[in-house]
Amino acid sequence: MPSTGKLRVIRRVNLLISAALLAIASISPAFAGWGMPEPITDQAKRIQDLWVFTLIIAVAVFFAVEGALLYAIIRYRKKSDALPKQTHGSTALEIVWTTIPVLIVITLFSYSFIVLRDVEKKAPSDALSIEVDGFQFSWQFTYDLARLGQGQAPAQEGTFSIIGTAANEPTFVIPVGEPVEFRLKSNDVIHSFYLPNFHYKLDVVPGRDNRFVITANQTGEFTGQCAELCGINHALMRFHVRVVERAEFDTWVAEQVANKATVRQP
Amino acid sequence: MTSIAIPRPAYAERPWILDWLTTVDHKKLGILYLYTTMFFFAVGGILALLVRAQLAVADNTFVNNDAYNQLFTMHASAMLFLFIIPVWAGFGNYIVPLQIGAADMAFPRINALSFWLIPPAGLLMFSGFLFGGASDVGWTAYSPLARSSGVGLDLWIIAVIILGVSSTIGAANFMVTMFRMRAPGMTMFRMPIFCWTMLVTAVLQLLATPVLASGLAMLYIDRNFGGSFFDPNGGGNAILWQNIFWFYSHPAVYIMILPGMGIISEILPVFARKPLFGYKAFVFATMGIGGLGFSVWAHHMFTTGAVLKPWFGFMTFMIGVPTGVKMFNWLGTLWRGSITFEAPMLFALGFLSMFLIGGINGTFSAAVPVDFAIHDTYFVVAHIHYVLFGGAVFAVFAGLYYWFPKIWGRRLDERLARIHFALQFIGFNLAFFPMHLLGLDGMPRRIATYSESAGWETLNLISTIGAFLIGVAMIPFIINVVMAFLRPKDQPNDPWEGNTLEWWTTSPPPVHNFDSLPEVHSERPLWDLRHGNAAH
Ligand code: HEM
Ligand SMILES: [Cu+2]
Ligand SMILES: [Cu+2]
Repeated sequence: MPSTGKLRVIRRVNLLISAALLAIASISPAFAGWGMPEPITDQAKRIQDLWVFTLIIAVAVFFAVEGALLYAIIRYRKKSDALPKQTHGSTALEIVWTTIPVLIVITLFSYSFIVLRDVEKKAPSDALSIEVDGFQFSWQFTYDLARLGQGQAPAQEGTFSIIGTAANEPTFVIPVGEPVEFRLKSNDVIHSFYLPNFHYKLDVVPGRDNRFVITANQTGEFTGQCAELCGINHALMRFHVRVVERAEFDTWVAEQVANKATVRQP
Repeated sequence: MTSIAIPRPAYAERPWILDWLTTVDHKKLGILYLYTTMFFFAVGGILALLVRAQLAVADNTFVNNDAYNQLFTMHASAMLFLFIIPVWAGFGNYIVPLQIGAADMAFPRINALSFWLIPPAGLLMFSGFLFGGASDVGWTAYSPLARSSGVGLDLWIIAVIILGVSSTIGAANFMVTMFRMRAPGMTMFRMPIFCWTMLVTAVLQLLATPVLASGLAMLYIDRNFGGSFFDPNGGGNAILWQNIFWFYSHPAVYIMILPGMGIISEILPVFARKPLFGYKAFVFATMGIGGLGFSVWAHHMFTTGAVLKPWFGFMTFMIGVPTGVKMFNWLGTLWRGSITFEAPMLFALGFLSMFLIGGINGTFSAAVPVDFAIHDTYFVVAHIHYVLFGGAVFAVFAGLYYWFPKIWGRRLDERLARIHFALQFIGFNLAFFPMHLLGLDGMPRRIATYSESAGWETLNLISTIGAFLIGVAMIPFIINVVMAFLRPKDQPNDPWEGNTLEWWTTSPPPVHNFDSLPEVHSERPLWDLRHGNAAH
């Protein structure tokens, strides 16, 4: 009893699902960078490559399975009262479709393991090192004059800080093309230091010494914000980073040293 | 055809209201569960619409930051603890005894207790709004933030502990029922697949929920009695809370979805007129998911820097394998079938197509470096909802349309159901697909507002429109249910040509469920009767 009514339903379902697929397909290429913002560090580039690789496999699996589903819906809709063959399963097939995902999974894991190892490399001991303090509800960036990077002998001692408020978002500066280490500290609750263009975030956990390294590969100004719910003004914990050439960085540091009361001269 | 006579217990007549308040009948309790949980689904949905209204445009001031934090916290808490986890207990209550040919659950009074713990816990959780604000620290209640939040959080903690007790004793009840009360001939491997998923869910609940309860008790002590389990300044450890919480809450994700998979696995064979492809593989995959579910909790904690990332990444990838097996078994069930598209099947197919996305977009978080980018962004919000809405909620509706004639003796209208499905399917994808792109572009979750300069406005507006379309989709559903209740009970025992024992008895079933039972020779006793064993 495949009535015309039922056929209409089938057609509508088909239409619906294909419309959804079309919508998905038409949105995705519109986003350059495969959906991610521009990677501005060497590490971010690696992570983006992994993302693209995973995305390609994911999209392939999506279309294969969704395609098979659509095919089955269209091809095997009821056409007569005859009973279909009662197949209960197939051990061979079960083995095949267990093995294929296992292989995919091992591939993805291996690649992500390699990337993980690379992006989590420790900073060289002479790298520029910035202490990042997350607090309710902004950030403080503290530079140690003895650890300004580029391998030069420390010219002076002391520190200077950039302190923000929720209303006055802080901007800090890093040089392009050399490793920069961030040491994350919190004295109140957990925050998370997240800069989308780094494709990276790391939690700022009271009682933990969390650090990570990046090497910026282009200049510009970029915005980040806290990514761990930390209270009422969590949404306002934004910050900005300016990535500049080394010479400009040195000038900026000199200005800060001249202006900031927090500097202890030796 | 032989059948086994069932002894019939005597029941005293009681006034209608007293009867519902004191009932220990698994069917009435099942109905109470369904009403209660659907009520909280509506409440959680309204909170979600308020959240979406706030996020519709940049720099919005529709609600303030404080209210926003309460809204999304209570949205998730209602949806998870008061809707999706207990709704399966509702279906399980009504259906499991019928499917295994039992007269009731093993412990009817404990069953009543499991249910009656839920409404007061729900009221307690929401009563925070009357006492200076409900919990506002997210459903994950991370410490140390959770140390300083208001009294709403204490109420929340107590409510979640009570709900945990409800689901723990409920789990024990389901296990005993399925182990001890199956019809003659129904071996474990002839048990309907929905029962299997309820069984594995019960095991997960029994093992995981007490861990959460202990964690909550510790948190309560930290907050009220000067403890410092989770306070680094007092010698405690902030990460400890996350370990305890996720040790429960990752298995809880399977508690929230496995019974839905079970419902889908009941519906596909009926409307494709074929047995479930690979019944045993499906059972083992369910157990595999349950077992692996205990070894992946720290994938929620990669960015804490405090967990063994390669191990948890690998295990998380691995859990995709049994999930994939299930997907292929469902496809195998449809393959060469004779498929019709009544309402339960529409929602089941909706489940397959949407849960697939929820399975795929979850694997990105297993690739640890990619997780560094997408963790705690809207990408994860998209993932949660493709699993819990595209998966679990579509399965809830599939189950409601499927068992409505059995439970209420009336059939829902197919045309309204199709309108409901179309609106929900479109609204759902509009609401949640854009969240992938927002998350990739760096929009963190749990933010009360975003600046216009971030460029997230268009996608957020689309998402909000989709969310309200989901709300609109509920209108034909509600009309459908109301109209059905106005019609007389006219449903035959087996309106769909079902496979399992619940379709053997009347719709709705008598108090004692069965006057007789057919012999059980396979997982499809009614199919065998209809077509003879030759058709096997
Ligand atoms: C009308 C449908 C729904 C809409 C429009 C919706 C919308 C949202 C939005 C926008 C958020 C993010 C809030 C934020 O991070 O600031 C959210 C979070 C969440 N939703 Fe939903 N949701 C819906 C249904 C559901 C359902 C059915 C479930 C579960 C069964 C669910 C579970 C959650 C969870 C667990 C969170 C995370 C909350 C947290 O971060 O603490 N939602 N929802
Ligand atoms: Cu924050
Ligand atoms: Cu998890």
